[in-house]
Amino acid sequence: MDWRWDFTFEVVMPRMIEAAGVTAWATVASFCLALVGGLILMLLKQHRSVWISRPTTEFIEFIRATPLLVQIFFLFFLLPDFGITLPPLTTGILAIAIYNSALCAEVYRAGFEAVPRGQWEACVALNISTYRTFRDIIIPQSLPPIIPALGNYFVAIFKETPLLSFVAVAEIMQISKLIGAEYYRFTEAVTIAGIFFLVMSLIAAFMIRQVENFVKHRIVR
Amino acid sequence: MTDFAIQFDKVCKAYDDLDVLTDLDFAVRKGEVVTIMGPSGSGKTTVLRVLMTLEEIQDGVILVQDEPLNKMYKNGDLVDADKAHVRKIRSKIGMVFQNFNLFPHMTALGNCIEAPMYTKGLSKQEASEEAMKLLAMVGLADKANQYPSQLSGGQQQRVAIARSLCMHPEILLFDEPTSALDPEMVGEVLKVIRDLADSGRYTILLVTHQMGFAKEVSDRVCFIDGGKIVEENIPSEIFENPKTERLQQFLSKVLEAR
Repeated sequence: MDWRWDFTFEVVMPRMIEAAGVTAWATVASFCLALVGGLILMLLKQHRSVWISRPTTEFIEFIRATPLLVQIFFLFFLLPDFGITLPPLTTGILAIAIYNSALCAEVYRAGFEAVPRGQWEACVALNISTYRTFRDIIIPQSLPPIIPALGNYFVAIFKETPLLSFVAVAEIMQISKLIGAEYYRFTEAVTIAGIFFLVMSLIAAFMIRQVENFVKHRIVR
Repeated sequence: MTDFAIQFDKVCKAYDDLDVLTDLDFAVRKGEVVTIMGPSGSGKTTVLRVLMTLEEIQDGVILVQDEPLNKMYKNGDLVDADKAHVRKIRSKIGMVFQNFNLFPHMTALGNCIEAPMYTKGLSKQEASEEAMKLLAMVGLADKANQYPSQLSGGQQQRVAIARSLCMHPEILLFDEPTSALDPEMVGEVLKVIRDLADSGRYTILLVTHQMGFAKEVSDRVCFIDGGKIVEENIPSEIFENPKTERLQQFLSKVLEAR
């Protein structure tokens, strides 16, 4: 195998480090949006009115049943037709966030259903408002058990970011392809891309474990 | 103003096809301590649950201090109650559950101040001062900073009682408050309930299987079966001189089990 260290350090690494920043940003932004979006979708799905819960259920099913890559293309090429022109990165983050919102909604639902009915009844008996019930009673109890599942989605989102290379977002995969094409040398670029993903995955997994431990000791009793 | 705290007028409640309360008429005077007993599935817990608005009724009217619970007057017309009305009526009622339903992620004190802080707008300090008084009243001032999992069942139930008192209810509902407790903890909870009953400040509705306690603490006992009141009287008459066959059967079965 022909491996050139000078090429690796002088050409590949600087551009890959920059690309890793884009990947990290896309991951964190998508994940945060998905956390909020998932909660909103779950609440809409549980809504009393069938006119709200039914379409939400259909929407979630639709998102879950179509490939993420198709959704990315869909947003990227169709949004401009509706007069919405967003940078590729923003479009990509949006697509990944929507896709994972639908998945997270199910996780939230499982967490909420695990809270005993008596907790809701105590809140009614104490005249605690619905908002406070969620904020102070239900969410703090339903969150700790689902943090491992949400953590998995964080890593999953991270591993979905290479799909953004299809719409030319300058993330790790896209840059490694570009370097390969420019210099006609794929060995170093693709290898480094793999190593970057591995290292970042390990860091993410470590962070998730820290959060789990923190929550276990602080919130769960 | 009548001197009734609670009035049920032809109240019907059904789960799907199963009738739980059928044209139930029932009234409790202010300051009265009333025990409801009956076989399982007789609807006795449902009486408390519809009062606490945990369940909706299909027909009839419930009055709480002469105000309808599920309806309200608007421009002279009786319409379905809105949220504000339900909350207002609900604030007069406190409920203690069979399984305590304490918030497991909050301390005993945290459990007691949560509702007063946000629904009554008290500061944390004001709410805590008052809660500490009530925790002391149930004998748990020293456990204020413990989490429910660190307390025994009897202690948890006493915290739950203090928690409901923090909202200053005028009517207290006890739904089998000692049924989930180990036998040696029943006494400490009953003592608290007895003190509340003796204070005369509360209208108390109690669902229990503790016959001896019911006899001792109640002004009146209602025997309910099939969603209707079968017999009601002062405790001594109910226990020593039951008139209906249904109540006689029930009592003999309960006493046999002793």
